[in-house]
Amino acid sequence: MMNFLKSKKCKIMLWLLALLIGVMLYAVFMGGYTISAAGMLEAAVSPFRRASNAISERVEYGLDLFRNAENYYEENRALRQEINSLHTQLADYESAKEELNRLQAFIGIKEKHTDYSMTAPFDVTGYVTNDPYHAFMINGGSDNGISLYDPVVSDLGLVGVITELGTDTATVTTILSPELSVAACVSSSREKGILTGSVSLAMDGMCKLEYLEKETNLKKDRIILTTGENGFFPGGYVIGYVKDVALDDTGLTAYAAVEPASDLTHLSMVVVITDFSGKAERTNADS
Amino acid sequence: MQIPNYSQKRKYLQVIEWVIFFLLIGLCDLYETSGSGLKPLILLPLSLCISSHTEELQAMAVGAVCGFQLDLACGKLPGFNAILLVLFCVTSSLLYHYLLKQKLVNMLILTSVFSLIQGGLDYIFYYAIWGHENVFLIWENVISRSCVMTIISAIPCYFIIHGVSEKCGGVHRTDTLEKTKISYPE
Repeated sequence: MMNFLKSKKCKIMLWLLALLIGVMLYAVFMGGYTISAAGMLEAAVSPFRRASNAISERVEYGLDLFRNAENYYEENRALRQEINSLHTQLADYESAKEELNRLQAFIGIKEKHTDYSMTAPFDVTGYVTNDPYHAFMINGGSDNGISLYDPVVSDLGLVGVITELGTDTATVTTILSPELSVAACVSSSREKGILTGSVSLAMDGMCKLEYLEKETNLKKDRIILTTGENGFFPGGYVIGYVKDVALDDTGLTAYAAVEPASDLTHLSMVVVITDFSGKAERTNADS
Repeated sequence: MQIPNYSQKRKYLQVIEWVIFFLLIGLCDLYETSGSGLKPLILLPLSLCISSHTEELQAMAVGAVCGFQLDLACGKLPGFNAILLVLFCVTSSLLYHYLLKQKLVNMLILTSVFSLIQGGLDYIFYYAIWGHENVFLIWENVISRSCVMTIISAIPCYFIIHGVSEKCGGVHRTDTLEKTKISYPE
């Protein structure tokens, strides 16, 4: 023992202890800042620490999976069910939102035209196969208060008339058909004409506003409205927009190519106007 | 004892064959009534293909069913296409019974002829007769294109119906032969 106290080893140990105490005291006076030597040491060992941490994490992860596999499986299944349920709810919400928007548009028609008596919106169940004028079927009929030759409108504009009627289904002939004529006027100038279908314009999804004055100053994008004069269609309802103006074959009158306000090839919902002020009593012969 | 078993199996197969035929007719009807674009009148080649594998009476029934479905889909006067398809189907059945072989070319020729007749009559009675301006545009842009699509659609129809009929052994010529064979033991 005495030999050790006198030996060099003891002196070295004391020096080392003194150094360590000194370091400790220095660290105390640094107030929380890392001393440079410790920082260097930290930097030197940190890659190894990271590696060992990564390994231990992997091992822990593996063990955890092994221990709690059943819990995770159940949890996963429950979460999947919840996600599916949320997706369904989201789809229902989107569908309801879309329908609400469409119905709001139809409510707008009623607010604007208080004299209209309208049915509830009907779905377009299908288009007549290969019809050049895009006639279509709706899921409403005489049981829903619809009569033959009632006007059919969308939230954007006039679409056509009922030309075939069943108890719970009806066929709508669109304004592209040459069989249909509507008394119409230009919204800005009140210039009048007859809107009818034309075979050549129907190929481009347009109809024709005929019998305009030769010197008409009608311009592109002017709005065409129904006049309601013959009592077959309600007055003041949008039909479409002028796309082109030209002279008729005779050269005596002008005509305008009118693009319907509604896209007649992609209709999904329409309403039928069953009554309006100034409605004429119609017979088959009239129509 | 073997003949009734064979006969029962044949009846069973024939029932399956007709169920498949009517399912196909239903599917084609759904196709006809969906969407707003120009499409082939696929019920026409389908009914012709079925008729080519059946007796005249069955062909008549198929023609009537497909014709009425076509009338409803195309918004025509009920019976317009039904009458035409009954005539076409019976003609097809007779031609295949006595004259034609089961070949794709024959079916394409038949479909072309009948499709043009149907398209032509549709054009005359529904458009040309009313004297609208530029009515030939409907022939150019709608009816002729639909006819071409109809003729092309005869190709899958032919292979499907021919395949089903071969699997189920419902070709009427073999029917006649087997009837003769069965009558011998009596």
